[in-house]
Amino acid sequence: MGRVLAFLVIVAVGVVLVYAGFGLPAFGDPNAPASTHVSDAYIEHAYHDAHTPNFVTVMIADYRSFDTLGESIVVFTAGLACFLLLRSERRRKRQGGGQQT
Amino acid sequence: MDGFEVFFVEKWPYLATVLMILIGLYGMVLKRNLVKKLIGMNIFQGAIILFFIIHGWKRGATVPVYDEAFGDLPANYVNPIPHGLMLTAIVVSVATTGVALALLSLIYKRFGTLEEDELLRELRAEPAGAPSSGEMASQREDVEGAEPDDGGQR
Repeated sequence: MGRVLAFLVIVAVGVVLVYAGFGLPAFGDPNAPASTHVSDAYIEHAYHDAHTPNFVTVMIADYRSFDTLGESIVVFTAGLACFLLLRSERRRKRQGGGQQT
Repeated sequence: MDGFEVFFVEKWPYLATVLMILIGLYGMVLKRNLVKKLIGMNIFQGAIILFFIIHGWKRGATVPVYDEAFGDLPANYVNPIPHGLMLTAIVVSVATTGVALALLSLIYKRFGTLEEDELLRELRAEPAGAPSSGEMASQREDVEGAEPDDGGQR
């Protein structure tokens, strides 16, 4: 019963997503809102501001470098979490063995 | 019906992202194995990334790398913003997958299974959790060898 309900919810999500797709701009439209305002400014100024030909590099490392800093913090936190999780497991197992003997 | 034809001609890649999102949701909600749920989450993330990349594309434009021949005209280059954002998203998705796999490895070591219903049965049978996990740990040590016992004697 619960599984049927979950399946119906998934189908409903699909219907809603397709319905929302009618409001999207056409595929490859040069005048779509996503590729007009700030994107044009980046393309026009990126090479002259940073003297790097690759616009994506300029965007990530120059215009939005604080975003990239936050991203590196996310990756560091994830690595730290992995390290602590796996280490605590190893230590817990060793202590469990001590209690057994 | 006319609206649907225009929809299919102009926005058919969007339908692929919808399909991927639904496959990911199906994996996350209805699969009972936790690793399969994680794979579903990764498919979902791939769908979001595909969605952004689709909307970065412009008809008749080239890669977002400066070229003397194309100059500064924005219509000649595809939108670089989704590419940069999705670069970030891919890195974050790898990080979340790593944390999830570490958690799954802990769950497997503690309970000996990754099936959701077996895990729930075990959790409901022993609300405290500690004695059952101690048993499990001792059983697993027998299988894995005498290394932890040596550490305990010292």
